[in-house]
Amino acid sequence: MNVVPLALYAVAFLAYAWHFTRRNPAVGQTATILLVAGALAHTFVIGMQTMEAGHVPITGPTSAISDFVWLLALAYLYTEMTTDERAMGVFILPLLVVLQAIPAMNPSIEERAPVLQGPLFGIHVSSLLFAYASFALACVIGITYVLLFKEIKAKHLGFFYARLPSLQVLDRMNQRAIVIGWIFLTVGIIAGVVFAGQARALPSAALDPRVQAMSLGDPKIFVALLCWAVYSFELFAARRIGWGGRRTAYLSALGFSIVLLNFVPVSYFLTKSHNF
Amino acid sequence: MHILVVGLSHRTAPVDLRECVDFKGRVEAALGALASRGSTHEAVVLSTCNRAEVYAASDDVGTARADLAAFMSDFHGVDPANLSPHLYDLADLDSARHLFRVAAGLDSLVVGEPQILGQVKEAHALATGAQTVGPVLNRLFHSSFAAGKRVRTETGLAAGAVSVSFAAVALARKIFGDLKRRTVLVIGAGEMGKLTAQHMKSQGVQQVTIVSRTMAHAARTAELIGGASAAPWEEMDAALGASDIVITATGAGTTILTKSHLEAVMRPRRNRPLFIIDIAMPRDVEPAAGEIEQVFLYNIDDLQATVRENLARRASEVLSAEAIVTEEVGKFVAWLRSRVAIPTVVALRQKFEIIRRAELERLDFKLSALPPDARPEARACVDEITRLIIEKLLLTPTEQLKGLGDHDRVAAYSEALTRLFGLTSSTDAEPEPGTQRPERVEGRVEPFRAKSRPSNRG
Repeated sequence: MNVVPLALYAVAFLAYAWHFTRRNPAVGQTATILLVAGALAHTFVIGMQTMEAGHVPITGPTSAISDFVWLLALAYLYTEMTTDERAMGVFILPLLVVLQAIPAMNPSIEERAPVLQGPLFGIHVSSLLFAYASFALACVIGITYVLLFKEIKAKHLGFFYARLPSLQVLDRMNQRAIVIGWIFLTVGIIAGVVFAGQARALPSAALDPRVQAMSLGDPKIFVALLCWAVYSFELFAARRIGWGGRRTAYLSALGFSIVLLNFVPVSYFLTKSHNF
Repeated sequence: MHILVVGLSHRTAPVDLRECVDFKGRVEAALGALASRGSTHEAVVLSTCNRAEVYAASDDVGTARADLAAFMSDFHGVDPANLSPHLYDLADLDSARHLFRVAAGLDSLVVGEPQILGQVKEAHALATGAQTVGPVLNRLFHSSFAAGKRVRTETGLAAGAVSVSFAAVALARKIFGDLKRRTVLVIGAGEMGKLTAQHMKSQGVQQVTIVSRTMAHAARTAELIGGASAAPWEEMDAALGASDIVITATGAGTTILTKSHLEAVMRPRRNRPLFIIDIAMPRDVEPAAGEIEQVFLYNIDDLQATVRENLARRASEVLSAEAIVTEEVGKFVAWLRSRVAIPTVVALRQKFEIIRRAELERLDFKLSALPPDARPEARACVDEITRLIIEKLLLTPTEQLKGLGDHDRVAAYSEALTRLFGLTSSTDAEPEPGTQRPERVEGRVEPFRAKSRPSNRG
């Protein structure tokens, strides 16, 4: 079922790319409509899976990726509608398409392990997914900032100059996305720590090696904290040292590449604590 | 009905002649004078700095053409012998194409300049106010607005600044976004500095400060600009720290701002960008200062280079803009051609209506057999039914006829209808040599069409 939103995202990407190069407003509107249709289809898919499983499918890495893509699509649509700026779509959509391809090819719904109960677990996963979606936006905004910055510095006002919003606007959007992402990342990590403490206290915990592996030594947890450190530094640098512009743009790209690393390869191959 | 344009522009006439035939402020008077000459049914006068044109709709192109040329010299009091070599005249399809190209900015001195579409709209509004616009020119001008708008949104013809001062403002906007809360510092109180500061002020920046080695000069220039302030040379560093945009325009001949100086200025600014426009020649700012992370340094050559790039980019968009114009001209011509069928359609309707009325009259006698109180209702009912039958019978042939794009086929179909139904109303006018029959009749039967429209819907 995840194939339907995937197809819509792919078509929307083509429309965004066409809009970006040719700047035809009608094509831009079509692109937005296609993306809204994709997000609605995705909402439907997640809703169906929720009804089928009796809970929101957020446990396995595959479902989590699908949820992340859905959140990112919604977050992007929100920024597009509030800023009336479509130029970023062409950078966000490929991410949606590539990541959505993973759940589209692995359509199974994982059984939920008995330890994964309670509101804390829900807060943990949804906060982190939302944080990652914000960081994805920040990364894309950062990349566009660097592209525009380079054109202006090189005094060659071309492709991106004609299509992107101003440097200050991009810088501000980047900062805002990072602040929101950082807050949710912090909440998500704290919820995870508290949840792990509770899970250990459960009688069934002793039998579950995954609960035992919930420590700093686990790659997934370690990389998440590394991520938190990177974004905390970025916020600190922006507030205290006066970093901004290109430096924060690069940092948000670095931060998000760590997020992606944690999200796909670490989840599938390395972690011992998060392979539910 | 034919469309005609007679006029001159920067392409055909020198500036002194263009000044002589300027309609500025006298457009209404010109429209009144045109209407009283009687050679045209409809007229619109388009007058800008670079062109003076009269658009008209007329039955007789030859007469109207000569009369419009005569009108141009009469109205402005210019010798026709001096004027006529510079006048151009275009008819029908060519005139439509011309207007669409004008509205799109393709015929402008600076290709793609934005004002012309507004000027075309204003010309149309003035003529509408003077009631010299009829259905043909109204449609023509509205189509030209559509063409102009499409070219602006779908091509890059109007994109990019094409003057140095606008290029500087566009760059400032690309760095800072909104300029409203920005502060501009002008170093040097000369003419160039003053002009640039005025331009920035007109773009809505919050504050303009002028610094000069001679405080009196700075104060006087600030006063001339209005709303600007002056600061002594010694306070330049403080002013630099507070500014977003710096324009250097001294005649010093030596470097005013070095890289190390600017590095010191930038440190307390943290990450706030500084846009420096060095319009002095020789330059006031050390070129290496552009290497500082948040310093964007442009000199006059850089700005001129971006202007050249923009002009080249506009030139490369001309082809796609012309394609849009061609498409819109095609749509307009299809509409114009569909009007050729109108006399036949009107004659056909008249014929049917005459038959219907005759039959209703005959029926009236039979209806008198009914009780008196039932008669009006029965009469209304029969009237309604017969009217609807005629409407439905005529709907398809009318649409088919109007949908034909090809002039010859419309003529052939009209001819066939005229013969088959024995239509006479379009042949009772006097034939005139050199004009096509349907068009000649059109002006006369136009009111019928307007009247028959509501019944089309019923």
